[in-house]
Amino acid sequence: MAHSKGSSGNLVRQWLCVALLYAAATAAAHAALGTAVVLPPLTQPASGEHHVGKVVWTDLVTPDLEAAKRFYGSLFGWTFRGVPGDPNYALALLDGQPVAGLFQKTLPAGQSPPQPAWLTFLAVRDVDAAQQDARQEGGKVLSKAHYYPQRGRQAVLADPDGAVFAVLAAEGGDPPDYLAAPGEWIWSSLLVADPKQETAFYKSLFGYDVYDLASEGGSEGDAQHYILSSDDYARAGLNALPAGSMRRHAHWLNFVRVTDAANTAERAVALGGRVLVEPHIDRHGGHLAVVADPSGAPFGVMEWSDTDTKQEPQ
Amino acid sequence: MKPMPRIWKVRAVGLLAFASLAACVVGGYDGGGGVGYVGGFYEPGGYEYGRWGSGYRVGPPRGGDRARGGDRARGGRAAPSIPHGTRGGGRHSGGKEH
Repeated sequence: MAHSKGSSGNLVRQWLCVALLYAAATAAAHAALGTAVVLPPLTQPASGEHHVGKVVWTDLVTPDLEAAKRFYGSLFGWTFRGVPGDPNYALALLDGQPVAGLFQKTLPAGQSPPQPAWLTFLAVRDVDAAQQDARQEGGKVLSKAHYYPQRGRQAVLADPDGAVFAVLAAEGGDPPDYLAAPGEWIWSSLLVADPKQETAFYKSLFGYDVYDLASEGGSEGDAQHYILSSDDYARAGLNALPAGSMRRHAHWLNFVRVTDAANTAERAVALGGRVLVEPHIDRHGGHLAVVADPSGAPFGVMEWSDTDTKQEPQ
Repeated sequence: MKPMPRIWKVRAVGLLAFASLAACVVGGYDGGGGVGYVGGFYEPGGYEYGRWGSGYRVGPPRGGDRARGGDRARGGRAAPSIPHGTRGGGRHSGGKEH
């Protein structure tokens, strides 16, 4: 009897050992292949299209993922699902289509704590070449190229003024060009200290055509407004930081299309956000506003009419 | 005191190795090219925008705004607008495929 108990004990220990070895081997394989995080492709099925310089994705970095889900879900009707391999990352969807990523990261403590923000992803064909160009043109590589199966290869860079953005070579191609629906990202602006220098940097990296648009009124600094274009589409605006702004750090600012900017701004406040720039009519004739989510991450909301009629700004 | 049998030493080392590897896989943001998501960057603080002047415009053109300079302005071309097509409906405004 004692012999039998000893045998079954040995058997259990052997099975435990085998199970542990199997788990270790699986973990090692995952680590070696870098497949821990599985992000969905940008386009499904693959588009096969490439639109260098187009804003193709945005990621929020926030200290509170659940609070961010509540806020953006209520404001834009986004739904969320996790991704395999990283419990801190959630995918935001609109009508079942991915629109953004939300990433939770602990906010470092300090006297001047950093700011949660939306990270703007611009399409490239070759991430390594973009990294090299960025360095040569006075920018920095903040996070070296990293490959995600299905998604593609991406890196995080800073331009000469310090504005942070990412480049992405999407594995299945970039999303086709279409007018964003309400609740989707429609426009991106880059606010910098030295617009002239910045146009040269971005033109070098993405081959943009640059248009210099005169703003009406305002100070000379306010009047600097460039349009960065590719494929004969406006991809982003580039402005001098507004003269009266207390914020002097260069940054990208992305806009979600809404049907009523004033109403959206009000709801953002009711949900715990703040209005940073009051709703007003902009160049395109519709209202826009800049708000911050409860963690402080800024983003814009912008109306865009489907009609071709242009309402002149007041 | 009896020394630990060799088989248990091997198993203990295996267990430690497994624990280390598992910790790597579940780690999340690493910021350094391992596994987990890379891309979460906080920006310098201070997002107060203050007042934007009446002439401060950041939105896209409608397609009829004349450029006063830049690469394509000399030919008198208007700055292009954002895509007008519907999802899956093809292009509605000009441009080249590539």
